Amino acid sequence: MPPLTELPTRPEPARRSKLNRRQALSLLATGMASSLAACSKPDQQILPYVRMPERIVPGEPLKFATTLGLAGLGRGVIVTAIDGRPIKVEGNPRHPGSLGATDVFAEAAVLSLYDPDRSRTILHDGAIASREALQGALASQLADARNRQGDGLRLLTGRTTSPTALRQIDALLQAFPAAAWHAYDPTDDDNARQGSQLAHGRPLRGVADLAKARVIVALDADPIGHGPDQIRHGRGFAEGRSDANSFSRLYCLESGFTLTGAKADQRLALRPEAIERFAMSLAGELGEARGATELPERERALLRKMSTDLSAHKGAALVMAGPTLSKEIHALVHWINAQIDAPVRLIEPIDRTPSGQQAATLEQLAGDLAAGRVRQLVIVGANPVYDAPADLQFGARLQQAPFRLHMGEYVDETAALATWHVPQHHALEAWSDLRASDGTASIVQPLIRPLYGSHGVHELLAWLAGEQDASAYDLVRQTWQSAATGDFEAWWKQALHDGVIAGPGAAAVSAAPQLLPMPGGDAQDTHAGGMTLVLRSDPCLWDGSFANNAWLQECPKPLTKQVWGNALALHPDDAARLGIASGDIVTIGAGDRTLDVPVLTEPGAAAGVGTLTLGGGRHSAGAIGNGVGANAYALRNADNRWRIAGVSVTRTGRREPILTTQNVVRTPDDVRELYPLYELGHTPAAAASDDTPSLMPRTIQSSDGHAWAMVIDTSVCIGCNACVVSCQAENNVPVVGPEQIAMGRDMHWMRVDVYDHGAANGRPLGFQPVPCMHCEHAPCEPVCPVAASVHDHEGLNGQVYNRCIGTRFCEANCPYKVRRFNFFGYADGEEYANLGADSYRGQKNPEVTVRARGVMEKCTYCVQRISGARRSAERDNRTLGPDEVRTACQNACPTRAISFGDLNHTDAEINRDKADPRHYALLGHLGTRPRTTYLADLRNPAEE
Amino acid sequence: MSQVLVPQQPPAHRWISAERADDVAITQAIADPLFTGFGKRWWLALLATAPFVLWLLVAIVWLFYRGIGIWGVNSTIVWGVAIANYVWWIGIGNAGTLISAMLLLTRQRWRASINRFAEAMTLFAVAIAGLMPIIHLGRPIYAYWLAPYPNTMALWPQWRSALVWDFWAIVSYLLFSILFWYVSLIPDLATLRDRAPRRGAQIVYGAFALGWRGSAREWSRLQTLHSTMAALGVPLVCSVHSIVGLDFAASLMPGWQESIFPPYFVVGAMYSGFAMVVVLAAGIRWGLGLQAIITPRHFDAMARILLMASIVMFYSYATEWFMGWYGGEHADRAVVRFEFTGTYAPLYWALLTCNCLVPQLLWWPFARRSLPVLILVAIAINIGMWLERILIVWNTLSHDYMPSLWRSFHFTFWDWSFLIAPLGFFAFLFLLFMRLIPSVSMFDMRELAHEEAAA
Amino acid sequence: MTATLVAQFLDAETLQAALRRVKSTGHAALDAFTPYPIEGLAEQLGLDRSRIRVAMLIGGLATAAFAFGLQWYSAVIDYPIDSGGRPLNSWQVFLLVPFEVGIFAAALAGVIAFLRSCRLPRLHDALFEIPGFERATQDRYILIAASEADPSDLRTVLTEAGAVVVTELRAP
Repeated sequence: MPPLTELPTRPEPARRSKLNRRQALSLLATGMASSLAACSKPDQQILPYVRMPERIVPGEPLKFATTLGLAGLGRGVIVTAIDGRPIKVEGNPRHPGSLGATDVFAEAAVLSLYDPDRSRTILHDGAIASREALQGALASQLADARNRQGDGLRLLTGRTTSPTALRQIDALLQAFPAAAWHAYDPTDDDNARQGSQLAHGRPLRGVADLAKARVIVALDADPIGHGPDQIRHGRGFAEGRSDANSFSRLYCLESGFTLTGAKADQRLALRPEAIERFAMSLAGELGEARGATELPERERALLRKMSTDLSAHKGAALVMAGPTLSKEIHALVHWINAQIDAPVRLIEPIDRTPSGQQAATLEQLAGDLAAGRVRQLVIVGANPVYDAPADLQFGARLQQAPFRLHMGEYVDETAALATWHVPQHHALEAWSDLRASDGTASIVQPLIRPLYGSHGVHELLAWLAGEQDASAYDLVRQTWQSAATGDFEAWWKQALHDGVIAGPGAAAVSAAPQLLPMPGGDAQDTHAGGMTLVLRSDPCLWDGSFANNAWLQECPKPLTKQVWGNALALHPDDAARLGIASGDIVTIGAGDRTLDVPVLTEPGAAAGVGTLTLGGGRHSAGAIGNGVGANAYALRNADNRWRIAGVSVTRTGRREPILTTQNVVRTPDDVRELYPLYELGHTPAAAASDDTPSLMPRTIQSSDGHAWAMVIDTSVCIGCNACVVSCQAENNVPVVGPEQIAMGRDMHWMRVDVYDHGAANGRPLGFQPVPCMHCEHAPCEPVCPVAASVHDHEGLNGQVYNRCIGTRFCEANCPYKVRRFNFFGYADGEEYANLGADSYRGQKNPEVTVRARGVMEKCTYCVQRISGARRSAERDNRTLGPDEVRTACQNACPTRAISFGDLNHTDAEINRDKADPRHYALLGHLGTRPRTTYLADLRNPAEE
Repeated sequence: MSQVLVPQQPPAHRWISAERADDVAITQAIADPLFTGFGKRWWLALLATAPFVLWLLVAIVWLFYRGIGIWGVNSTIVWGVAIANYVWWIGIGNAGTLISAMLLLTRQRWRASINRFAEAMTLFAVAIAGLMPIIHLGRPIYAYWLAPYPNTMALWPQWRSALVWDFWAIVSYLLFSILFWYVSLIPDLATLRDRAPRRGAQIVYGAFALGWRGSAREWSRLQTLHSTMAALGVPLVCSVHSIVGLDFAASLMPGWQESIFPPYFVVGAMYSGFAMVVVLAAGIRWGLGLQAIITPRHFDAMARILLMASIVMFYSYATEWFMGWYGGEHADRAVVRFEFTGTYAPLYWALLTCNCLVPQLLWWPFARRSLPVLILVAIAINIGMWLERILIVWNTLSHDYMPSLWRSFHFTFWDWSFLIAPLGFFAFLFLLFMRLIPSVSMFDMRELAHEEAAA
Repeated sequence: MTATLVAQFLDAETLQAALRRVKSTGHAALDAFTPYPIEGLAEQLGLDRSRIRVAMLIGGLATAAFAFGLQWYSAVIDYPIDSGGRPLNSWQVFLLVPFEVGIFAAALAGVIAFLRSCRLPRLHDALFEIPGFERATQDRYILIAASEADPSDLRTVLTEAGAVVVTELRAP
């Protein structure tokens, strides 16, 4: 608006106004003129938002089905996007790899999408290069390769189950007959594949169904631990325990503590060698006496129970072998399962090309590199320089190849040694397809246009085949043209909508495993040459590829609650023998390789075994992941990847406190009081009433409205942390970083307490997820001087952020300690590392306030979801269904341990749970009348 | 220092050690230094304390700029030094009014020599105490939300919160103490007005003296008012620290939820307060050369009170332990066990030594009469009482119902700052007070002198 | 004609003795000024009893009542919230604040009443003109007496009673 000099700066009192009619009129005119000027349209042409783009309502969440990969295997998910921003991942009930639930890796995918450290542009020898330059270089290299029938051209991928990718690889190998395709996945279980090769003559995949098994024997196997099968196995485990009459029993022999061991009814911690010996004795009990040996008393007792149980439940008994066991034992287990007619479906491998091409191994590639037989090496979505077994010296040998092209989401360790680097789409940006571990295929569809100048795997493969401008979308559609029955477009729409491709996955093949020569000898040499080091994939960082995800770095490891690093788990006796305490840094020596790592004593560990997780010690991960933890790959051997015998552990004298967010509760009194555990058939008669006498009148209950409550079944909680990360994603819970953790601060709204029952040998652990209890007589409310902590009429214990002045009396007075305080602006200008970066804002849930410094926050029962459901119910005027509202933690849970609903709704699931005799309120005797209650843990140990 | 009053050994009178202490002598002894100045020693003292004032300012500015994360507080132990300081300073602040009021009501004439600076101590201590709850807030700028006022949010304070009670208790107590102190100061201000050599001083003191003439009517009215305020002051003081005790007692936490807290906090307050008075009395006596009117007998009397209080304190601790055990509540017993054996056990033993063991020295007359011993005991008591307050916070919060979140407190530089700097600030204020206002009530002393027949 | 005499004494006892003499000799003792409060002096001068305490009682109770009323209104009528399942009118704890503010209000009322009853504050007083009056706040005990009849008689009474200085006060 143009400045009007003639206007009086200060309005004069009306009576003494010097403004005459003439001036008044002129002012009026100027005013109109200026206002018109202010309202004039910009010079450029603008378009009104009259016809909305299809289905895009500003601020309204949209849900799309897609597929996320872990170790190359797909888990179907449904992603919520708001205004085109994916903000939350939830499970896809139709998909066998998800069954409607998620795991920590799926939940955290949305954070990685917005990671500012992702690779953004094509690099040539570390310098920014144009796509044309790359195309040029590729063209000449491919020409060279073509002249030599592809001799010297090598393709290295991760484990690949994508039908489209496999189809392209097939085509590539036909175009370059002498070229070779290698695949390497650091978490792959070679022994299992070779074992089934031995047993069946071909590398069949066993797809076990825990739900059908009444007796489960895990031999150093961790079916419900983290991995692509966790959700499926977790659900199976839970279903197998849903009915007291057909309640499964889980035996677990293991070298390092795992989730499976924690939930086992009967657990024994042994060295891997001893477990192999035990397996052979088990085979002996079932009629294959050759390998049977004399066992120590405790093992013999267990063996007797186990074998009777197994043979008593033929058809519903299952034995599983873990990666630390030799291929012979795996073969033997195939045989045992055949004997007991185990519910295991054998399927053809799913990572073969249509023409049956199986990928060559990394060892072969390393050999060829060393021999200089590789001229062009194309690495797609793998990071071998970091995660290859150390004895392959991959980093050094890689440089033997003159042309090294790397495609990845990050400029990682491998990219640093490559001549060319191509940024790869994040899974939520790309078109592709994946198979679940049972062979079911599903489409990967992008939720958002690529944030950076990245490319898809299929495009790169197309470039190799000489097609410069093929689009992943078309390639994927081509793959499925044949599969489509009838109208392809309809079929395609359906497939995208459902997030899974109709029809069974891989068909089961029937194969009778032949018996084979027993592995001799090596089982005897227990305690030969010091300790055995067992490697495991990390429950939070997996193989290290998630190292730059702050949610996962700060996600407490289920059994130790360690964050921001890994540690060598040792049995206290071993630690004492070596004069080590938790937090001491030791040097692990394996052959000529050593690694410095802090020690964490773990009463559940096997004597003589140290356990270390992969995924630490990255140096090119990004601002979050660099230099966190120790790199276990540095000790790894190609031949026996998961187990290193005869390692030395020596103390360095240095210390590094282990960062944890909480303690594992081991004091018997507290465990008994806070985490009741019953044996099957010894449950109390009736549900314990949490009604304690009180002078206070009963809570003001709204007669008309709802009464929200949550019941958590601790008997099926497997401590997987999916709920924790899900809550973090849904509620904009900030990350605080290692320094703050060391100060004893954290922000998780949902925590999973761990209780150690220290049963004589078993040490079964109990997991107890603890959100806010939403007490009806909430101790946090009367102590708040400004009514920032108040109760609403539906029983929610609300925290009014903008009213909170930060006295912290509420947390001081909370018996459950579920409230979290913003000591700094963790989400408000004082973020850790780069989490204040603009790109991360894209992930924030617009329905949830981002809390400022100095205010208290806590679980809200996902109040935004409650009001969302209410609004939609009101829109199509109906009443809310009994279980219509689902909280983020509830949706994430693989075992459906969490139920949430309306107490005033008689047919709500929680009302059934509350009638369960195992029902109890945490610290109920305090008279807080919590709305969040629990079902006690239930175990089914074999009779003595 | 003016030595118009010559102290005698042994004291010539019960509460005045000088042979003669007529009105002139007393007036000169107390008033003249204010006009002649205290010379180098006072300036050096002021200079020594000034840095602490600066330190406190820096600490507060940094706290407001960075947020309370600079302290050692964590997700479990959400309270820390600020709260302990608050309770401790309020405790100090209680003694002044208690001494003045209670001794007045019980006609303890010896209060005349100490009540004035004891009350000044109260004012400064309560002012500092009042600062603590505000800076301890996560969002200090909104501290005023505790006050009820018509606002656009249409909200009111949540009256059931002990913190709101606190707010009113501190405000009422601070304002009350100022009135109580000022009322008894008016006649002395008049004296200063009439003695002031310079016009400026005359005007200033004159203005504050409100035109006091010392007429029989004014005296009788003043005494009526003063004694009535004293009668109100005693329950006020007790209620103030009871409410501070309720901050903890009105909770659900093991080790806090105890009905003994209010009385035991009051005694504790008087205890630490008297200890502080002893230290200050010794300082003023030496600094202003008032050996004649602050006599060994005074210290003896205060020592006896300290001894008594220490016994009551020990009784309170013992009650806590007993009830913890007798209540049979698992968590309560755990906390008591934790006090003696847990992370802070050394501090706890130190606290018991300082508060219960050391003061037993005072059974022996020589200890009560020897200033050095008495001062050391008093300092020990003040340390012990601070430890008691911080441990009340730490022990319960570090070891409450949820073992999974048991943690311990990490002391940071800024915790130390907020512990030490206020002490210097307090000394600074007190020095200013000594310089500007008669540290001993002149008219009370005149009265005392006449009753002692020393005039 | 009446005369008003100002007599200065060296201590309280002489002052009180003189006061008795003055009264017994039929003169009027108007007022006395002393460096410290003297038991019974006010009664001897026949001053009325003060009503300060009444004012304090009223001020205190009124404020306390108001404070309670404010709490009750805000917690029950104006902004009723469910706070930990406590009753809206938690009168037991609502008593604490009224107690605190009540006592302060009583003190404040007392101070105001005191100032009013003594006609303070005042910046100047005619008596300050009297030479040596400033010592009334230090070491002199001053009695103001008036005589209907012969001022010289009153003067002798005062001097015999031990007045060190006797001056006549003339209305300007």
